[in-house]
Amino acid sequence: MVTGRIPRVIRTPAIVLRHRRLGEADRIVTLLTPGRGKVDVIAKGLLRSKSRMAGHLEPLTLVELVLAHGRSMDVVTQAQTIDAFPAIHSDLDRLSAGMYLLELADRITVEHAEAEGLHDLLHAALVRLARGDGQQVVQRTFELALLEATGFRPELTDCLRCSESVAAEAAWWVPVEGGVLCASCAKTYPEAQPIDATALRVLRAFQSVPYEEAGRIRLTDELAARMEQAMHALMRAVVERDLKSAQFVSAARRARVAGEASEDTETAKDD
Amino acid sequence: MNDGRDPFLPGASSPIARLVEAFHRLPGIGPKSAQRLAYHILRTQEAEAQELADALIEVKRSIVFCQQCQNLTSRTPCEICTDASRDRHSICVVEEPLDVLAIERTNGFHGLYHVLHGVISPSDGVGPEDLKIGELLARLRDVETEVSEIIVATNPNLEGEATAMYLARLLRPLGIRVTRLARGLPAGADLEYADDVTLGRALEFRQEVQ
Repeated sequence: MVTGRIPRVIRTPAIVLRHRRLGEADRIVTLLTPGRGKVDVIAKGLLRSKSRMAGHLEPLTLVELVLAHGRSMDVVTQAQTIDAFPAIHSDLDRLSAGMYLLELADRITVEHAEAEGLHDLLHAALVRLARGDGQQVVQRTFELALLEATGFRPELTDCLRCSESVAAEAAWWVPVEGGVLCASCAKTYPEAQPIDATALRVLRAFQSVPYEEAGRIRLTDELAARMEQAMHALMRAVVERDLKSAQFVSAARRARVAGEASEDTETAKDD
Repeated sequence: MNDGRDPFLPGASSPIARLVEAFHRLPGIGPKSAQRLAYHILRTQEAEAQELADALIEVKRSIVFCQQCQNLTSRTPCEICTDASRDRHSICVVEEPLDVLAIERTNGFHGLYHVLHGVISPSDGVGPEDLKIGELLARLRDVETEVSEIIVATNPNLEGEATAMYLARLLRPLGIRVTRLARGLPAGADLEYADDVTLGRALEFRQEVQ
């Protein structure tokens, strides 16, 4: 006979999204699990220097956990790293992109709500980031897949108002509505922004082809920046708040470009 | 006007409730601890309670950011920044004022400090612009600076690493050497329970046995 009893202990893989302090030495850790979606759990004594679990429960880590059923929140009793994605941690651009993926997954999901497939989606994106795939392709394809999985699939080909097919050159971008408008419908919508036609074409391709094919599309820095701008605006509209990690991705890139420009100037002086 | 309620019973507007609530807002203080502290204050002499109240007000009124290192101090520039015996060629960058005390306790560093007052943590809504990074850059761009090394002593976690790498990227064009505190196994640790990243770093930065 099947009973409704909740098991006292469960074992589950999970991706650590973030943590926050609880009292003197404990932490509330937010996880994305395959079976239970996003959950908050308590990790006791994590801030003590001799904690055996602290290193395993850092954000951006895939862990195997044993959770004991608690009154309000489950309690972590064992944690073992499956993948800490060291290649992501060793490069600022990849790290900032990884933080962005985590924040997106966190902000777009509600605790305990069904999140079928989101864990696998995030895991796949982190694996791709770690193995050195193009960061822009990883981020954009993750955003589009995440929106699709959570019911926010953006409309990139047909006008949101009149449903007519829109040529990329004539499209206007409306993040708050979640897609594009044709030129005549955009006239009545003051918030519509112009969108680069190539950027839109590539986003359409990302939305419709498998990841492996999307990865073969070559993006110039300029095109990637335009796609990033459009998608960041869309994600901000969906989660209804500023995404600090998106700003950090841009800040890290600006610092890299400034550094490279300074090195070029130094080299030119030497020549 | 007395509404008929005993002012000593912890109702929502009683002085005790206000004190309990004030203690409860402090970090690490739960509702029970807040009650215990409030009733302890009630049992002490009025002079002692006055002393606590005065100390609270004074610390808020007199403590400022040091104009150089951004540490909390009662005079600016602070004692460390004005100490002529300290090495002016290195700056240790830390997250919080308490980290300065921790490093000072080691007696192993005699340079200057810079306190960021946080780390880059997008999940907590903290970006680079919310930290004292601009002040550090201004300090290093000063024509009179003698600094040749920045030691980034942020915590060895995701946010600390992101902040360290971001600082290193910003400082590279200035031609200043940027180093990071070594990362490895803590004293009294057990290899069996060490996480992969820590163990990997400990192996990577192993040292010859003296």
